[in-house]
Amino acid sequence: MSATDDWPENPAERAQELVEGVLDELDLDGEVVVEEDDDRILLTVEGEDDYGLLIGKRGQTIDALQLLCYQAAFRGLRERKRVVVDAAGYRERRRETLEGRADRAADQAQSNNRVVEMDPMSAQERRVVHERLKERAGIETYSEGDEPNRCVIVAPLLPE
Amino acid sequence: MTELLEFLVKALVEDPEAVVVEELEEDGDLVYEISVAEGDLGRVIGKGGRIANAIRTIAKAAAVRIDRRVIVDILD
Repeated sequence: MSATDDWPENPAERAQELVEGVLDELDLDGEVVVEEDDDRILLTVEGEDDYGLLIGKRGQTIDALQLLCYQAAFRGLRERKRVVVDAAGYRERRRETLEGRADRAADQAQSNNRVVEMDPMSAQERRVVHERLKERAGIETYSEGDEPNRCVIVAPLLPE
Repeated sequence: MTELLEFLVKALVEDPEAVVVEELEEDGDLVYEISVAEGDLGRVIGKGGRIANAIRTIAKAAAVRIDRRVIVDILD
């Protein structure tokens, strides 16, 4: 955590340095592997340590780190892309959980013929739910409320 | 913890030299007062305080390591 006044110019490198610094402070070992394409910068922490502390309850710590990485990476730049921070397969596990919840909410909306309000989620997580349900017949999804309490609504469509 | 907060905040601001983090102790809790250049306040607080809250969340995780409660204040 020495070069704090001397940040690299490249967004992916800036994000990488931030993740490495936080790992250090949490006494965690691990290598930060960076993959970048046109849409996003993906930073994956790889190693043998238990990354529970880094991930946090319901992912709140890794989500906070991801937000700070985005801000730090693109500070002062107009051209931006998504930044994803991952560790121990967390993002994939979380996606499976969200898809399961999306399916159950859709089942409920249809079988009870009523609007189902899901728990508040981040924009990234809401997108997973919308994506999951967009092909499903008989329901529609949209988001309602203000951050950080914005949530996905699953509503049955009226029969034509 | 002071080092971590300086590190995080300096990553976010345009003027890292103006970043000051002060550690105080209040009723057994560690309190960190962060000041930044006026033009950088928005970068550290964010819309609806979401950047400030993200900084607090990281600090809370680091506090587990030192087994203390920490409070992070951004002075405006």
